Amino acid sequence: MQQDESNIEVMRERLRAGITAGNKLQGVQLAQEALAAQMSPLEFFHAVIDPVLVEVGDRFSRLEIFLPELMRAGMVVKAMQEEVLEPAVLVGTGESSIVGRVVIGACQGDIHDIGKNMVALMLQVNGFEVTDLGTNVAPRTFIETARQKQADIIAMSSLLTTSMPYIRDLVQLLEGYGLRDQFLVVAGGAAVTHDWAQSVGVDGFGEDAVEAVNVCQNLLLPRKEGHV
Amino acid sequence: MRNTTRLLDVLDRMESGPIVEESQWDMFMVPDEVARVQVEFDIDLNALGDKLVSADDALADRVFAAGLTLAERLGVYCISTSRQIKFSRAEILAALAVAPTEVTFGEGGDRHTERKRQVEDPAHLTIKGGGVGTPIPEHLYLAVHQSYAQESLVDGMINCTLERVYGREIRSRSPWEVLGGWHEVELTKAACRRAGRPGLGLGCVENAVSELSELSATSYGGFSPNDWHHIAMISEFKTDYGALTKLAHLVRTGSVIHAFYNTIYGGSVGGKEGMAIAIVAGSILLQMIYMTNTHSVSPAHPFYDNDTTPEIIQAISVGHQALARNSRLLTDLVITPVSGPGTSTLLYETAAMAIMAAASGSCGLIGPRSAAGIHPAHVSGLEARWMAEVAHAAAGISRGEADALVRQLVALYQPTLNKRPIGKPFPEVYDPVMLRPSPEWQGTYEVVKQELAQMGLAIP
Repeated sequence: MQQDESNIEVMRERLRAGITAGNKLQGVQLAQEALAAQMSPLEFFHAVIDPVLVEVGDRFSRLEIFLPELMRAGMVVKAMQEEVLEPAVLVGTGESSIVGRVVIGACQGDIHDIGKNMVALMLQVNGFEVTDLGTNVAPRTFIETARQKQADIIAMSSLLTTSMPYIRDLVQLLEGYGLRDQFLVVAGGAAVTHDWAQSVGVDGFGEDAVEAVNVCQNLLLPRKEGHV
Repeated sequence: MRNTTRLLDVLDRMESGPIVEESQWDMFMVPDEVARVQVEFDIDLNALGDKLVSADDALADRVFAAGLTLAERLGVYCISTSRQIKFSRAEILAALAVAPTEVTFGEGGDRHTERKRQVEDPAHLTIKGGGVGTPIPEHLYLAVHQSYAQESLVDGMINCTLERVYGREIRSRSPWEVLGGWHEVELTKAACRRAGRPGLGLGCVENAVSELSELSATSYGGFSPNDWHHIAMISEFKTDYGALTKLAHLVRTGSVIHAFYNTIYGGSVGGKEGMAIAIVAGSILLQMIYMTNTHSVSPAHPFYDNDTTPEIIQAISVGHQALARNSRLLTDLVITPVSGPGTSTLLYETAAMAIMAAASGSCGLIGPRSAAGIHPAHVSGLEARWMAEVAHAAAGISRGEADALVRQLVALYQPTLNKRPIGKPFPEVYDPVMLRPSPEWQGTYEVVKQELAQMGLAIP
């Protein structure tokens, strides 16, 4: 059911408050009430969650808020999606509020994870379903998890020049297994440059957490439009 | 004080401390506790206004108290065992009471002793020049290092990373890493000998991403116990078997230990207040788990990878003053500018950090890690000379004077940071055979030297 703009703004304000407080329950209740008022899950996502998360992302990109606030946003929205929106979608039209599925991790030999955590959270608050494999992840683990999770994107982070070769290994393994067309591969982290990423055949490169989200969104556009 | 009893105690706690999930540590325990102590000790760096070098002793003391409390409440998380390594306040205070106030590294006539400094201390800072892990092509590695070793103001050298070894890619936790460590020994020692400083203390093993290279290259014919050996504390407040294996080896070989903790601005510790508290807590915890001689920080900006932005300068200034006023710890700062060789902005960024550190009681300067240490071969010895000259000239000036200089310098480089002026690689700013700066790079250096003199800091 179509909601008027003032109602929508009230809901957005409640979501902002829930995120600020890190209160999952507040977010879940809001989603339940919206669906009870005949709003569809997708309509709720686009009208309420998406604009608030864009605000959160913009504020993080200007460093007006930091990782803890980003984490709270991710936690609240994840709870809303898992507990209310996705179950409703399953019994509804089949429309999904998930933008895409990403398997992310720091490359084998690399134990740095804060930058990778930032990217994971930014993806999450932008509607991606994210599986975070943590640090020191072998290429085969990325691939096996991506298959299990039916991921769209494998995202690899490397802060060390000595871990970068494992990004190329992953691309070569995907080719060897005949899976290269199944997954998009993006890379980032302090050691990785745009030129190097291109030279090893990855599909996208993100300089930082904000750019990483843009890259993932853009890469998925053709899939959304049914070209791939 | 370091000994096997303390090492065994750390290792025992590594396997017996409270079990915690890593995601809980990263997502809740660290951010929540940092936020809690920030409120509890009333830490607000906005009260400094436009000041980048704080002169507020009470604030520094509160930041120390907050950092000490954070260190006590959190301890260090061991990823390999999923356990918290915790220490009581009494244990921390007992360890801090006997922490070394000086350390000597290097050998023979090239030995150098780094000593504890106070806020506004006229004593010189220790200068550890080098590209700090910047990837360098194999054929340039010796020349780049010689350009640092030949600088007479460099007291110790911090090594760069080899891009390849014998033309092959170096991979973490592989035989290539071992060969990389040994090639680092051969080439850096050769660079020092060629510079006529065979005993210069080396910051190593830069190619030891895992413990393999450290265990291998710190042995007979390799790096000496008198070089200064790195162990990382993973952000935020984490360690693992790899780092602790290095520790065990370095304790048993009696090596000089240099440990570092590089918190991330806007990360789990939040903004500049959290960062200042984390600098204190991190340095204390480096002492607790690694029994380190020198405690280094290089907080990183999440988008530029540097530590020269105004918020980070404020945080380091307060954090290092807190440690200088309240502890015996030897504190080092890695200068990580966005700009690279050949640019005046590299010299402005480096000068701002050196002046801030000199007035804030930092004991040593490392770097500069030009072009954020990311762009291959974008480093040269001249910027280490500059770092030393500015730091020595600034030793003894008041925090107020330092603040005025730092603000002028920041105004000169800050507008350019988003353009990432990475400058030029080594062969374009140095004659790689004569090992002299190019006339253009030398000219830029002379001009900036004049500018700094006009600002009020004359460099002989």
